[in-house]
Amino acid sequence: MYANPETGMVGIAALVALLLLGVPIGAALGLIGILGLIVVIGFEPALIKAGVTTVETLTRYELGTLPLFILMAQLFFSANASRDLFDVAAKFLGHRRGGLAYASVAGCAGFGAINGSSLATAATIGMVALPEMRRRGYSDALATGTVAAGGTLGQMIPPSGALIVFGIIAEQSIGKLFTAAIIPGLTQALFYALVIWLLMRVRPDLAPASERATWSERWRALRRVADMLLLIGFVIGGIAVGLFSPSEAAAVGAAGALAIAAWRKRLNRAMLFTAFDETLRTSGMILLVVIGALIFSVFVSVTGLAEAIGDAVTGLGLGPMATLVVVAILLLLLGSVLDGLALMLLTTPILLPVVTATGMSPIWFGIFLVRAMEIGFVHPPLGMNLYVIQGVAKDVSIARVFKGVAPFLASDLVHLFLLILFPALVMWLPGYLGQ
Amino acid sequence: MKNLLIWTGGLGLLAATAIDTLAVAGRHAGLPVEGAIEMVQVAVLVAGSLALLCATIARSHAQIHFLIDRLRDPYKDWSKRIALLSLALFLAALLAGSVWIALDLWHSHEESELVGVPWRWMRAVANAALLAGVVIALRQALTRKS
Repeated sequence: MYANPETGMVGIAALVALLLLGVPIGAALGLIGILGLIVVIGFEPALIKAGVTTVETLTRYELGTLPLFILMAQLFFSANASRDLFDVAAKFLGHRRGGLAYASVAGCAGFGAINGSSLATAATIGMVALPEMRRRGYSDALATGTVAAGGTLGQMIPPSGALIVFGIIAEQSIGKLFTAAIIPGLTQALFYALVIWLLMRVRPDLAPASERATWSERWRALRRVADMLLLIGFVIGGIAVGLFSPSEAAAVGAAGALAIAAWRKRLNRAMLFTAFDETLRTSGMILLVVIGALIFSVFVSVTGLAEAIGDAVTGLGLGPMATLVVVAILLLLLGSVLDGLALMLLTTPILLPVVTATGMSPIWFGIFLVRAMEIGFVHPPLGMNLYVIQGVAKDVSIARVFKGVAPFLASDLVHLFLLILFPALVMWLPGYLGQ
Repeated sequence: MKNLLIWTGGLGLLAATAIDTLAVAGRHAGLPVEGAIEMVQVAVLVAGSLALLCATIARSHAQIHFLIDRLRDPYKDWSKRIALLSLALFLAALLAGSVWIALDLWHSHEESELVGVPWRWMRAVANAALLAGVVIALRQALTRKS
């Protein structure tokens, strides 16, 4: 009787209300999912479904990927990875006008390959890069904007927490998602470099050139991160060429990070405790969200809402390109009031069928969705990276941070549109590697 | 108590790391580790259950602050209580469903295929963590100071 799209719509309205009231995202998704399932299929099946989903999720082998990649990042963080990565980029690029801004983007890309979080990347690279840029006379807006935008690379450059969660929710290969994200991640970083280059052409006063490091200083800096870069290359390359699965890669990465921390004489009881604590807290937060989202997606599925929206969109006769532009606009609008995870988990069950009906693959949608999520991290009113960066540079107003990030935001929109125009940016590499 | 949880969860993570790394090395060396996935599942379940608990204790579950940060203090306090009660209710629903299944399957002696992991005890670990999560979230909701 209630298994209809209208019930699904009521559920979504209630979900948005709970989310805005500050109910934890996982709990809001799960509660609406369970209550909706009680209404549609009855009390006992709804509760059993919740129980099955919980144990299945907690024992899911693929979900082991997430905590182990987080552990790897925490171990590298304790081994001073963020400072070393920024330092090597600064030694190679710092002498150019705006060189430290390029170095910040490169540092964010490097740290993004260790860490799957935008906020953590922005915060850690920001702590290292912002004082250095400001000390050397860079404009506050440019310095903060570069790191806020660069931080979003953490979500896109594999391993990415968001892509792991998408892979689980949409039942897609995490390895294929990681491989598909490599070109969009690298082109995104190149776009940011292009923005800095253009800014330096128009307003050279924004950032002075610094002294040139000698080649011996550069090699010394590079040697300090060589072990980490080799491990990261091995982990990402190993997934891409099928040497191991993403779950195994996470274990190999964590084992390698432990070995590197021990080699650097930083492995001790206190450091391990902090790494475990941070890893467990972040993993627990994501696990709750995943369990809630899986229950919610069952509810959406039994109401037939996704099919109804798909039929409605197809009925409009917009054609694939216009449909994807509409989806992008919807994601950007929702991204201004919902945070990244909520956006992904709310929209995946509804928009995935719409997007696949246009002929795009779910892998493409995963990358596109994460790219749209990233944009939400740097535009108001939410723009969490902006606040993270303002937390690091407390004397810079949020308006200045936004002014600094605006050119990068414009490049993000162009990049997102390019992903629609040229899906091969996403799909070529997995295809080439035979995934 | 919190430290014990963190060390136990951490050991679960280390166990998963070690088993999977050995499995990869063994596979490429022609010495496959039999039942590695099942053993990793046990480690992941222990670490994951304790991770849920650690996130609840640390109040680090993801929330949207867009509206609540703009509320005045008394309303903000109430919204935080509602959020914690909702969390407790959700964890209780998960616990109820999970216990229901555990009771149904208790006498079926479910075991994994290769290394014989006794799933009823693994379910018990998850249920204990969920129960602790409900208690902690309720306590946080009811003792929260204005």
